[in-house]
Amino acid sequence: MLRALDFRRLVLVVSAGAAVAATGCKKEETKPAANPTDTVFADFAKRIDGYVKLRKTLVDSVGELDPTKSQAEITTRATKLANSIIAARAQAKPGDIFTPEFSALIATLIKQEYSRRPDSVQETREDQQDELPNFVPKVNQLYPTTYPLATFPATLLPILPPLPEALEYRIVQNYLVLRDIEANVILDVMPNAVPT
Amino acid sequence: MRSRFGTAILAAILTAAPLGAQVLLPMKSGSVRFLVIGDAGTGGREQYDVANQIIRYDKTFPFTFALMLGDNIYGSERPQDFDRKFTRPYKTLLDKGIEFNAALGNHDDPNQRFYKPFNLGGNRYRTFKKGNVRFFVIDSNYLDPEQLKWLDKELAASGSDWKIAYFHHPLYTTARRGPEVEVRAVLEPLFVKHGVDVVFSGHEHIYERYKPQKGIYYFTVGGAAKLRKGDTHPSPMLAARFDRDRSFLLAEIAGDSLYFQTVSRTGAVVDKGVLARREVRPPATPTAAPAAAKTP
Repeated sequence: MLRALDFRRLVLVVSAGAAVAATGCKKEETKPAANPTDTVFADFAKRIDGYVKLRKTLVDSVGELDPTKSQAEITTRATKLANSIIAARAQAKPGDIFTPEFSALIATLIKQEYSRRPDSVQETREDQQDELPNFVPKVNQLYPTTYPLATFPATLLPILPPLPEALEYRIVQNYLVLRDIEANVILDVMPNAVPT
Repeated sequence: MRSRFGTAILAAILTAAPLGAQVLLPMKSGSVRFLVIGDAGTGGREQYDVANQIIRYDKTFPFTFALMLGDNIYGSERPQDFDRKFTRPYKTLLDKGIEFNAALGNHDDPNQRFYKPFNLGGNRYRTFKKGNVRFFVIDSNYLDPEQLKWLDKELAASGSDWKIAYFHHPLYTTARRGPEVEVRAVLEPLFVKHGVDVVFSGHEHIYERYKPQKGIYYFTVGGAAKLRKGDTHPSPMLAARFDRDRSFLLAEIAGDSLYFQTVSRTGAVVDKGVLARREVRPPATPTAAPAAAKTP
């Protein structure tokens, strides 16, 4: 379950609200107090919850993984889980979780966050992508084990909606990627999320 | 390419105890002794050379556990990769019961946390205690607010004399890629606030030791297999640097002193010293003068 927004994110979210409205998010005429940003975040949380529920049933079928001396056991279990997820989400496509409204909001937040960072930070962030040449992430793709997982900018994470333990965000080139950690499956991608 | 015969001869030479590992550590009774390696998991000849040198030193300076600073397994992570890049090079140490405590690097699949010999217990980050030392294993690849909250709480709760944090990305380095300033922005205030004494990192394939920064000693030990020759640069902030060959670090903590020596792939001692434990200071005075380092 996603936690409540912290103050810092709330400030950013409010400032980015206009971006959401501009994307054509449905206007609440009868409830003037509703914040379009809250609506978008709530919808995102609902989609994440939907995935988590699906995942739980799949995990139940392949079994929980406890620490083991056998790497073969870890690999086999990860592969089984990945195959189950991909099969269960065979129709999944970009934007199913990162909806256009959510993407517009997040891209704005990320852009604002980047603009506040000095050049040295931005250079470091670009350097982190050096080891991911020509990698175009796709939904239901396994994150290639031959590529490193680019370090996620530590000061960017707090402005994104928190995720359950099993999931994480990653940046690949200018994509924001949603990844199932244990299964190593890319669940959704958001192109042009990161300024280049 | 070295022949198999040549490799066997070199391995025999490197692991021969009588050749005299140059151990400069005091080996005091009841001390906490450990090995530090970073960026080790290539499965290449250099990793095996370093491993053989470590085994040689272990015969004179027996240690009980090792810190792995990430990039534990480069490239594919099939069972045979774990064999070639971890269990085979360190077999002698593993057979002796030496405990390897891994942190995750950017080349590591986070599922390594389930691999028992890495002792992460299914977690990306954790803490453990050895004698009077509390270690904090941090996942610097993904510093989510949850992890930072955990770290703040655990550091505050630590009653240990020594607090040592280790993770993959260096907060200070002169190497080409530069320090991880974003990681520093979130971790350093916690380290200062809670009186962390020493930080070990890898990522850069060199060795560096910084003069205390805000009272904290920073080591980069990222050359246990890979090397970026010539990638350290003179800096008034540096106390020592080595980028001519691969290296590892041996440490011994006795009371309020941490003795260390850094050893190259060929067995030469490239750095050594003793650090005094930083006094635990109240949060209101985090910038008080650091303890001095001196050579033994």
